[in-house]
Amino acid sequence: MPKSTIISDEDFQKFREFFYRKTGMLFEDSKRYFVDKRLLERMTATGCESFRTYFTMLRFQASGAELQTLINAMTVNETYFFREEYQFRCLVDSILKEIITHHPASRPIRIWSVPSSSGEEPYGIAMYLLEHWPQLEHWDVEIISSDIDTRILEQARAGLYASRAIQHVPAPLLKKYFRRMGAQYQISQTLREAVEFTRVNVHDTADMRSHRHFDVIFCRNLLIYFDDLSRKKTAESFFDALNPGGFICLGHSESMSRISPLFQIRRFPEAIVYQKPLEAR
Amino acid sequence: MALKKGQPTPPSHSPGERQDARNLETLLQTLLDEDPSKRRWAARDLAEHPAATGALVSRLRRETDATVLQVIVTALGCLANDEAIRGLIDCLYSENAMLRNTAIEVLKELPDPVAPHMGELLHDADPDVRIFAVNVLESLRHPQVEAWLVEVILKDEHINVCATAVDLLGEVGGPQSRDALAALKQRFPEEPYIQFAADLALKRIGVE
Amino acid sequence: MKRILVIDDAATVRLYHREILEQAGFAVTEAVNGLEALEKLETGPPFDLYLVDINMPKLDGYGFLRALRKKDIPQAPAIMISTESSPSDRADALMAGANLYIIKPIKPDQLLPLVRGLLGEERQP
Ligand SMILES: C[S@@+](CC[C@H](N)C(=O)[O-])C[C@H]1O[C@@H](n2cnc3c(N)ncnc32)[C@H](O)[C@@H]1O
Repeated sequence: MPKSTIISDEDFQKFREFFYRKTGMLFEDSKRYFVDKRLLERMTATGCESFRTYFTMLRFQASGAELQTLINAMTVNETYFFREEYQFRCLVDSILKEIITHHPASRPIRIWSVPSSSGEEPYGIAMYLLEHWPQLEHWDVEIISSDIDTRILEQARAGLYASRAIQHVPAPLLKKYFRRMGAQYQISQTLREAVEFTRVNVHDTADMRSHRHFDVIFCRNLLIYFDDLSRKKTAESFFDALNPGGFICLGHSESMSRISPLFQIRRFPEAIVYQKPLEAR
Repeated sequence: MALKKGQPTPPSHSPGERQDARNLETLLQTLLDEDPSKRRWAARDLAEHPAATGALVSRLRRETDATVLQVIVTALGCLANDEAIRGLIDCLYSENAMLRNTAIEVLKELPDPVAPHMGELLHDADPDVRIFAVNVLESLRHPQVEAWLVEVILKDEHINVCATAVDLLGEVGGPQSRDALAALKQRFPEEPYIQFAADLALKRIGVE
Repeated sequence: MKRILVIDDAATVRLYHREILEQAGFAVTEAVNGLEALEKLETGPPFDLYLVDINMPKLDGYGFLRALRKKDIPQAPAIMISTESSPSDRADALMAGANLYIIKPIKPDQLLPLVRGLLGEERQP
């Protein structure tokens, strides 16, 4: 490898700043090896001889395609079906029950699952609604799910899973909602038609503007990758993405108490969730 | 009724919600709108316009809605230019506790632009401001933090400023802090909290 | 055992209070700010006393007390701890729902009688 492809400390700093500003993801020094490796891979793939040329392309390429590819390479997409299932219980047994007391009957209830990763979470929500929420007879429910990673979104739309992802799915549901395809399982067409996948960077105000009027947001295992300021910023955007009285569910190691005071803490038998006050404007 | 694919929100979703142009001029106007949700959206978008820093800072002084205040402080934290930092530092003198505490939180995240102001803040005449300044140091990932804290515990006359500083030294202090911690114990021999916190810091730094 | 919630953003202060109170036979729970304290109220049995710092991120001591006093749970006494000594702070603290207002730094032999007094345990052996 030519000497110029070594990434210096300053290069790393510059890159880290830039990537942080774009995505909210902040790499600690301990991630240096991982970051360098991905950068060098992308430099080779794009034929950039030096970090400088690559970085210039990253910043000024009009299409943003390389930035997207790099984002795809840097994200951690790990997830599985029915992860933190108690929150789905909370959704059908408590949250929706409260929402329909004040939701206009003429409008659908809107749920946003972000980040979607490969789709296990939004499909799991859809399954839960079909199985455990009898009120679905009387209400329309729209599910949107989003991620910054375009490659993982393609996977989510295809809905093909290895056996590891479905290990917590009870046998009857597996039978009902999946079709075996060789070593993989594909999620049923009904479910694929129930979830819309969109590409969203939660740090981009334009992306966030086009995702609003939700009654429930699931944002699990994303904020842990951010630093405090990005978390605060993201929580504030979610506040405006919710209808008054709407709820937000975080991952089980995440607490809004350390992020933003905008929301009210709500305790339901199944989980603690956070609510935009009904009277909020 | 059933599950349906949702769609992203179209620009003109509900009546009255015109998709205003998001250019600097209209955003600055919207920052004064009477609808707090519009003000929040404007403040958030203005975080990408350094030219709007002054307008955000002056809105901070007048804003009465707590949710909008939060978003403006975040926007200034994202801008992080000197004017924004000064605006946030001014909040340390505010009577509004929520504003003060939010500004401290955001300043903590901005080591480089905050560092040049630290010397002055740590010597402010008001002990409360000095305490806030020490609080800012808490997670300021800056190489000089330890030196600043050592200076505080050696020189600051106010016990609560020292108490706040010694609390942090336990986390960031190295062997260089040891003498200063011992000296602090001498300065406040009758104060159990100082003795406790200094001993704890010494223990964490380790003897060797 | 009486349960005390210690709310302060400074880790050393929480530890200091914890040691004093545990040695005196109380069970201590900690929260790093007012919001986390409110969350603790939701997740466990009620507390018998609150020790509340004034200046904290996210939700300060006043905000916590106001929210606490509005809650439909068995109410318990609260001690507000401040670094300031201006009379208006004291008034604000009491208005917000504090039973006592004390100034840092705190000595164990000052704190414990106040705690026991508020808990109605003055005549401890
Ligand atoms: C660990 S997965 C979480 C998936 C699922 N919600 C769960 O809890 O299992 C994290 C996802 O966050 C996405 N992500 C990272 N930064 C993002 C950003 N700024 N905006 C949107 N998604 C992002 C990654 O692409 C990745 O798929």
